[in-house]
Amino acid sequence: MDSNVWLVAAAWMALALAASLISIRVGVSVALIEILIGIVAGNFLGLHSAPWIDFLATFGAGLLTFLAGAEIEPDALKRHLKPALVIGFVSFLAPLLLAFAFAYWVAGWDLRASEIAGIALSTTSVAVVYATMVETGLNRTELGKLILAACFVTDFGTVLALGVLFANFNAWMVLFVGVTAVVLWYLPRLTRYVIARVGHRVSEPEVKFVFLVLFLLGGLARVAQSEAVLPAYLVGLVIAGVFVRDRILMDRMRAIAFSMLTPFYFIKAGLYVSLPAVATGALLIVALGLVKMGAKVAGVLPLTRLFRFDRREGMYATLLMATGLTFGTISALFGLTNHIITQAQYTILVTTVIGSAVVPTLIAQRFFEPGIPGRSDAAPGPHQVTAAVATSAD
Amino acid sequence: MFHRILVGLDGSDGSRRAFDRALELAQLTGAAVHVLSVEEHLPAFAGTVGEVEDAQRFANQYFRGIHEEASALASRHGRALTHEIVPGHAAQTIARRAREGDFDLIILGHAGHSPLHNLFLGSTADRVVEHASCAVLVVR
Repeated sequence: MDSNVWLVAAAWMALALAASLISIRVGVSVALIEILIGIVAGNFLGLHSAPWIDFLATFGAGLLTFLAGAEIEPDALKRHLKPALVIGFVSFLAPLLLAFAFAYWVAGWDLRASEIAGIALSTTSVAVVYATMVETGLNRTELGKLILAACFVTDFGTVLALGVLFANFNAWMVLFVGVTAVVLWYLPRLTRYVIARVGHRVSEPEVKFVFLVLFLLGGLARVAQSEAVLPAYLVGLVIAGVFVRDRILMDRMRAIAFSMLTPFYFIKAGLYVSLPAVATGALLIVALGLVKMGAKVAGVLPLTRLFRFDRREGMYATLLMATGLTFGTISALFGLTNHIITQAQYTILVTTVIGSAVVPTLIAQRFFEPGIPGRSDAAPGPHQVTAAVATSAD
Repeated sequence: MFHRILVGLDGSDGSRRAFDRALELAQLTGAAVHVLSVEEHLPAFAGTVGEVEDAQRFANQYFRGIHEEASALASRHGRALTHEIVPGHAAQTIARRAREGDFDLIILGHAGHSPLHNLFLGSTADRVVEHASCAVLVVR
């Protein structure tokens, strides 16, 4: 069957469809379900990757990273710049250093594998944080916007570390940095121009334009031994303002990503998780999970006090910032693909990352959910409306 | 008697029956009726922000349609109606909203799950009865 691309594609798409249906039924993220289905398929069905799947998965990871950058609210980041920068940076640095130290000195991983461990566990899942805050209405408050802005800073640190730590600093790097800087400088204006002149046609020139930029900068990043997600995130960040005003473009990019690309990425991310390695590495998985949460608490919680969060809000924000999913798996898969970590180490990191999507969220929701202002009957939220009143009977 | 009635409306037959009873009660007592729909299945542990936004948009469209029908029905009965859509866990959200809004009656539809489902999972109505701080009417 391996030589029949159509049947291989059918098998992968069947898994992706199953993940979508399960996700809708149980109300859990399709990304998480795709990873879990990948784990089952890899361990019990003998599913494996192919070069064309690797490309789709890599493109999916790049597009996910781009969308993550583009989903920022630039105005919210500007309003909360100082606390977001400080909290976000510490939220990145503390787990990076502690997880690295733990992997290197306690678990006995080599230097580069420990660096991957540090990077994979430094992340915060903006999506997990956002979903949690939507359920409480906190995403509409200034506190919520500050937490989200800080999460973007944390993820920027992660992406930067991934793009820099393993790169070659030579002429290719200079070329990559130079071209990226010029492209990023002109990109918002250029994107607006493309949309204004030829946007929203059936041939989708604006989507192709964004893909062209992602491929070009991703290619240059590879030449410099850096990682394509770094320019993808930066491209997303600089044109976030364009995307905020053009929901149609955002929706089209998401449709392309979620239907055809990200399923291949997330299923592939699950494929390399070895269940026997989960069993043998269970203690290390728990320990790394505690290290990540401990580092976030030690680093972020005092800062929330400094920026005058109350006790409950501070712990809630800290726990949400201890979550992780997409960038954690991207970092681990980068390590595995580039032979920096073994499959057993990959398994441990991805399982820890999945745990970090679930455990801190549940603790935050169960014990530290702040009271939400503006949800009383007298203060309608955005979805609350008063119906027209008919004063006379029919 | 009752002054403020909160009705849980998710579009199911049971919840529509509950809404009908709420209108009847409101006509008898002059109580204000507030319709609450809970977006219960937003993706937990999301992989992307877009995933959450899309799920929320889909749920909003669905509930807005139901609320328009409810408003039209209320208008035909000459009743005032307020309504809102809130994300969260259904039972917790209904009980909390009733407390926050000083409602004195919650009306819910019976979901009609199997006895086995109710034995192991319980129903939203069971949980609201357990957690509510006011009277609860479950309509079969």
